[in-house]
Amino acid sequence: MREPAPTETPAPARDPLTTAMRASHVLAGVLVVGALAFAAFGAAVGDTFYLRLATEALIFAGLALAVDILLGYTGLLSLGQALYFGLGAYVSALTLMAVPSFWAAFGAALLAGTVVGLVGGVIANRVRGVYFALITFGMAQVVGKVVYNTRALGASDGLIGVPVVDIGFGPWSFSSASPAGLFLFVLGYVMVLYAVAAYILDTPLGRLLIAMRANEGRVAFLGYRPVTARLIAYVIAAVVASLSGALYPMLRGFVSPELLFFTTSGNAVITVITGGAGTLVGALYGSLLLTVIKSYVGSWTEHHLIVIGLLFMAVVIFLPRGLIGLVRPKIERMLSRERKP
Amino acid sequence: MTAHRNGAPVLEVKNLSIRFGGLRAVDDVSFTVERQRITTVIGPNGAGKSTLFNLVSGALRPRDGQVLLEGVDLTGAPPHRLQRAGLARSFQITNLFPDLSVFETLRLASQILEPPLRAWQPVRRSTIAIARAGALLERFDLAAKAGHKVAALSHGEQRRLEIAVALAGEPKILLLDEPTQGMSHGDTEETAALIRDLAADVTVMLIEHDIGLVMSLSDHVVVMHQGRVLAEGPPAAVRADPAVQTAYFGHA
Ligand SMILES: Nc1ncnc2c1ncn2[C@@H]1O[C@H](COP(=O)(O)OP(=O)(O)O)[C@@H](O)[C@H]1O
Ligand SMILES: [Mg+2]
Repeated sequence: MREPAPTETPAPARDPLTTAMRASHVLAGVLVVGALAFAAFGAAVGDTFYLRLATEALIFAGLALAVDILLGYTGLLSLGQALYFGLGAYVSALTLMAVPSFWAAFGAALLAGTVVGLVGGVIANRVRGVYFALITFGMAQVVGKVVYNTRALGASDGLIGVPVVDIGFGPWSFSSASPAGLFLFVLGYVMVLYAVAAYILDTPLGRLLIAMRANEGRVAFLGYRPVTARLIAYVIAAVVASLSGALYPMLRGFVSPELLFFTTSGNAVITVITGGAGTLVGALYGSLLLTVIKSYVGSWTEHHLIVIGLLFMAVVIFLPRGLIGLVRPKIERMLSRERKP
Repeated sequence: MTAHRNGAPVLEVKNLSIRFGGLRAVDDVSFTVERQRITTVIGPNGAGKSTLFNLVSGALRPRDGQVLLEGVDLTGAPPHRLQRAGLARSFQITNLFPDLSVFETLRLASQILEPPLRAWQPVRRSTIAIARAGALLERFDLAAKAGHKVAALSHGEQRRLEIAVALAGEPKILLLDEPTQGMSHGDTEETAALIRDLAADVTVMLIEHDIGLVMSLSDHVVVMHQGRVLAEGPPAAVRADPAVQTAYFGHA
């Protein structure tokens, strides 16, 4: 080792990546507060429809988080993340139909996401760039079509009649049929996924992924095998997607092959880019926004996809950092001002 | 510093060759890099110097020949393995992470000094890498730019950072591909002093065009021409070599 630097080393707290992540946490906090108010209001007026719609938005926000880990942080465009979302949903549904236990379904989805993510990752990571996008797309399409044609999995109808479960933590438990209860639970669950993703991205491993987004070739000369780092990112994203999908049958009581199809994968990519790639929290806001558009615009015209398409184009052209890019830099500036002595 | 392992030279290259189509970019090249000496590879543009570095650092696989690091055969090993074995390199064309901060770039490059389990803890716990990055900022005169994005640095600063990144993992041998490329005269002088200073605790091998610098900096010079080693030896002897005079300095 060389002698320590004479002047103080720059405080890691002023590290721009850490500041950016903290700014995302502020926005995540705002989202949680808003969601709690929404849940209280919904429960007070006895609403079911909007609570369940918002729950669905949060579940798909989990899928969008997975896409953001790959696209926004590692620089990998996955066009087939629905493969793992659908996997989690089917595995969860099958488990719940056999053993109506949330934790059994959770464990099964975790295991399935890890194992299939490893296999899919080994296949997809053989190639990069456009070819990676095409392989992830292809894998999801193949699995989707296989499920669509498999009688044991309900074929095109999917699996219906997933029982209502009691989700319990020690002495406290509630039924998945309770709209406010399930909403609050899914909110907490997705925020845990967010927190885990944020934690990982703030470790040396996460920083390596962020560096790879800019210049993958160079990290090899820093002593890291890029393929391994990419595989780890891929498996993490597979697990996040699978764990999100696991919630779907608890909300809807059924799963269908559409969950694996390109519309699901493509929506997640649109969600991330609209919300703001490489922010994590953009995936959450993006999913809520797109769900709102779908339900409001969808109530007076069937052409809500046109509105979403136009919004998406406008964001890509005018807001390269997504909608979160409008506010997060301001919060970052506030946070870094606070830290100056 | 590093203990001698079996007394083998830090780097030995034997009969290394690669072809691009019909072009013999590196053709039967052999030489030895002795510990704690500055070895410089010179030669006209296109002589195969960068390709030689690519072969030695694992960026390219040789068609023939061997690369031995402290006597261990690492021919064809991928870059990350060579890096872990103690061989680091910089690039002729700056090859960094434009949107990372200067500090983060150095912390990232120093990360392999941390125990493996730290990879799963927040980066603020990476105290070894943080201290190393801080020391490098001072040593390479980049402390004032610690929080700046790499893309915002001047060319000279990027070139210095390029060397600092290669040095960060405490290699046994440092390969520098034209470290002073595009630098002003003043910056070149400073960088030369820095390299001389580095050579006190790491073996340096570099590619350099500035002949004055080559003569003053090097302990050993390898002259390449059309993929082959034309001559090698102490700087003065190489300069006096008639074959080198003809082929490289352009006069007999
Ligand atoms: N990847 C490559 N593919 C094909 N030709 C290459 C490649 N890299 C280098 N070359 C060619 O090999 C020769 C040696 O190049 P290089 O090693 O970069 O020379 P130097 O660094 O000595 O200027 C040049 O003719 C160059 O065009
Ligand atoms: Mg060159």
